[in-house]
Amino acid sequence: MGCQSSHPSAIPELDEIMLETGFSQASVVRLYDRFQALDKEQKGYLSKYDLQGIGELAVNPLGDRIINAFFKEGEDLTDFRSFIRVLAHFRPVEEGKSNETGRPEPMNSRLRKLQFAFQLYDQDSDGKISRDEMLQVLRLMVGIQVTDEQLVCIAERTIQEADQDGDGAISFEEFATSVEKLNVEQRMSLRLLK
Amino acid sequence: MLIWSAKGSRGAPSLRALPFLFLVAALLGMLPLLHSHGLQSDPVMASEPPHHYPAVISGNEPGDITAAPLGVSQEISPLPNHSSPGHAKNRKAFPVLGIDYTHVRIPFEISLWILLACLMKLGFHVIPSVSSIVPESCLLIVVGLLVGGLIKGVGESPPILRSDIFFLFLLPPIILDAGYFLPLRQFTENLGTILIFAVVGTLWNAFFLGGLMYAVCQISGTGLNDIGLLANLLFGSIISAVDPVAVLAVFEEIHINELLHILVFGESLLNDAVTVVLYHLFEEFANFEQVTVTDIILGFLSFFVVSLGGVFVGVIYGVIAAFTSRFTSHIRVIEPLFVFLYSYMAYLSAELFHLSGIMALIASGVVMRPYVEANISHKSHTTIKYFLKMWSSVSETLIFIFLGVSTVAGRHYWNWTFIISTLIFCLIARVLGVLGLTWFINKFRIVKLTPKDQFIIAYGGLRGAIAFSLGYLLDYEHFGMRDMFLTAIITVIFFTVFVQGMTIRPLVDLLAVKKKQETKRSINEEIHTQFLDHLLTGIEDICGHYGHHHWKDKLNRFNKKYVKKCLIAGERSKEPQLIAFYHKMEMKQAIELVESGGLGKIPSAISTVSMQNINPKALPVKRILPALSKDKEEEIRKILRNNLQKTRQRLRSYNRHTLVADPYEEAWNQMLLRRQKARQLEQKINNYLTVPAHKLDSPTMSRARIGSDPLAYEPKSDSGNLPIITVDPASPQSPESVDLVNEELKGTSCLPPSPEEDEEGLVMRVKDPSSPGTDDVFTPGAGDSPSNQRIMRCLSDPGPQPEPEEGEPFIPKGK
Repeated sequence: MGCQSSHPSAIPELDEIMLETGFSQASVVRLYDRFQALDKEQKGYLSKYDLQGIGELAVNPLGDRIINAFFKEGEDLTDFRSFIRVLAHFRPVEEGKSNETGRPEPMNSRLRKLQFAFQLYDQDSDGKISRDEMLQVLRLMVGIQVTDEQLVCIAERTIQEADQDGDGAISFEEFATSVEKLNVEQRMSLRLLK
Repeated sequence: MLIWSAKGSRGAPSLRALPFLFLVAALLGMLPLLHSHGLQSDPVMASEPPHHYPAVISGNEPGDITAAPLGVSQEISPLPNHSSPGHAKNRKAFPVLGIDYTHVRIPFEISLWILLACLMKLGFHVIPSVSSIVPESCLLIVVGLLVGGLIKGVGESPPILRSDIFFLFLLPPIILDAGYFLPLRQFTENLGTILIFAVVGTLWNAFFLGGLMYAVCQISGTGLNDIGLLANLLFGSIISAVDPVAVLAVFEEIHINELLHILVFGESLLNDAVTVVLYHLFEEFANFEQVTVTDIILGFLSFFVVSLGGVFVGVIYGVIAAFTSRFTSHIRVIEPLFVFLYSYMAYLSAELFHLSGIMALIASGVVMRPYVEANISHKSHTTIKYFLKMWSSVSETLIFIFLGVSTVAGRHYWNWTFIISTLIFCLIARVLGVLGLTWFINKFRIVKLTPKDQFIIAYGGLRGAIAFSLGYLLDYEHFGMRDMFLTAIITVIFFTVFVQGMTIRPLVDLLAVKKKQETKRSINEEIHTQFLDHLLTGIEDICGHYGHHHWKDKLNRFNKKYVKKCLIAGERSKEPQLIAFYHKMEMKQAIELVESGGLGKIPSAISTVSMQNINPKALPVKRILPALSKDKEEEIRKILRNNLQKTRQRLRSYNRHTLVADPYEEAWNQMLLRRQKARQLEQKINNYLTVPAHKLDSPTMSRARIGSDPLAYEPKSDSGNLPIITVDPASPQSPESVDLVNEELKGTSCLPPSPEEDEEGLVMRVKDPSSPGTDDVFTPGAGDSPSNQRIMRCLSDPGPQPEPEEGEPFIPKGK
């Protein structure tokens, strides 16, 4: 475990990463250090086991889902590029920057943030949050005093509230509408990742 | 006595407290009686010859008359119980009953005072109406005033809060309690801010106030001209320090967020160093004819020595304590004592060298805590928590009561100009200081301090007993105006505690309510807000907390590699928390299983009733939003608001009266229980698949189980090293549990088809184990019935097996 901070030249594909994610070089370096600190066996990859070793993540209700979001379907290892790609979603939105047409949607735009969040709800990736998925999430987040029936009612009500086309599930557009008033940009931004 | 009866006649709830008050009055009434008895019996003790015997009797009578009318039993024969010489001319009868107050006087009085403090605390909780408006500290001061007045009225001189008692006995428990339970992460994150407020803020206050008061003294012709600049600066330094006791006492009741709490509280702790330095500095300087530059430089240096020296002393004692606790595994009962003694020694050692005792205490508590907690038993841990809370509670109560008593007892010199201007300038200085410093600090802070925060910080700068004790320490020769200073100090303390203490809560509510009314969120928004919060917290944990501060990572690494090995006993140095919490959780669950039949009874009856009224089967599957009544919507919202697990940032505020469970531990417990419930949800459906006719170890059952949850029923052979607590009634191995499943299945009526699946209810479906089926939730009566709860518990696994290669030894692998 290196105690020194990494030299920028030690990071593979630094320029592409900076271009893709929009991070500053200092941030990339810092995240690379973090990546290496988590990668206890110096494999160059992170496994789920490494991420599960973070204590605070274990008590997070969404801990497992967050961890899984870093790994592609079926894979058990993630490299630095994928790691930082996920974290790019949480970069604070720069104020005052106009959305240049022609450039691809930046990874930390509101749309991308919402898509990431939606992905965590929608485990089976069918593009909708079904009532079961909502129930699961609620079960994870809610205290143990709430019984299953109550949860079912809450889940039903949630879906009814958001569902506009009446298919009994929440699609991405409906999800985006329901969180309109929430300051998603701020809620999904980590100030450390400037 | 009139005072007490007047108090009692106020109303019905007060009537209940009437016996309390009488009891207290009785106890206090005994005090002067016994005191005078003690005085009377002294000359008796000195005189041996028994012909003084009649004098003894007559001597005691005036003592009886001065006593309060209550509680004095006259049957006490006023015989001295020292043995009279055998050659007495008049032989007395053998004293069957005697009274010897002087023998026990000091402990008796101390105990009486402490008892009074505790009874008062009890009384305030019995009469909730008063304590909801007025903070407890105010009530206690009032009680102190009354008691002081009572004692004075009886003719005795009430005791004054002596500085050495205060600094040596009353203050350390409070500070230790605060330091031991200091939320370290918030503290270190805001350390820069706290230090600036503590050091620069206090210096600013002291000099500003001192300077202005000097100007006032010079200007006004009311006999204040003789108070020199140094005396004024000394006064300024005494009065400018924010007091941790008062802050704690008031802030714990208003439940502001963690950030503000830690800012004001941290400031009150760390400004002790500044106060100590300034106090000694000005006290010394007052003796000098002239203050040279050298002296000022030395004073500046001494600040660093005092603060860093205090911390150093604390760290040393903390390390020694941690090291000692490594070996206490055989004598668990004295473990708490080590913690207390080492901390107290740190305090005393620092005070010995005129270093900052408070900082030593905090440093030792902070340093020793992680290692000691890893080493000591769970019971010792609880004992430490309880004792600290107990002592600090009592200390705080006593301090406030004594403040009240001392006010009555002390000599006062009231000077309108001085005191009023002190008060005004104190407030102005505080507000200006906070505003200026915040403007400066906000340039460097990531999370800025809003004006509302600034207001609370400024308004929360309460003064308390430390200022009083420091003022009391002044001697008369150098400071002839000591009485006036004391009066001014007491006035400021009273003002801040009463006025600011009482009004801060309504003001906070007022400021907070404005924000709350804006958000009337839909249920979706509530859920998604919480979801995003958790998500952000998780990502933050993955990223690591500290921005560009490599040294914190280095410190952690150093800690893990070297320090933990030294200070933590053997095998527990690796992730001790996980193991300990898992044990605790299993224990708790086992106890719950045995004790009650139902898990998680809903606290409020209303929500139970109304929620069950919403019959899930009857929910219309309409395409438009059904008009759920306002009440039910409010129900849902209330349930969500109360039950959604809060992320770290919104932990419960610090509370003096209850033991706050360690938040990490609580989160663990909640999470594990929640996962268990989630798995129960899955298994509930998956276990309706087969009809269990025989024991669980049958291949059908095990296959069914293992199919749903691979970790659930590993062969029991390697369970030797894992403490699995199996409780008979709910053990999966017991046949009766299996039969219950049978019965329940038989009792289940036909399930209505849910709109999404068109097959029958009880069909086996090859499903992804992580998503629960929809059928189970429609089971009628499958709510709180005890048998169903027991089934759910039976069907859940007894506890995850350790799988070292998985790396998550104690987390059930269900998702």
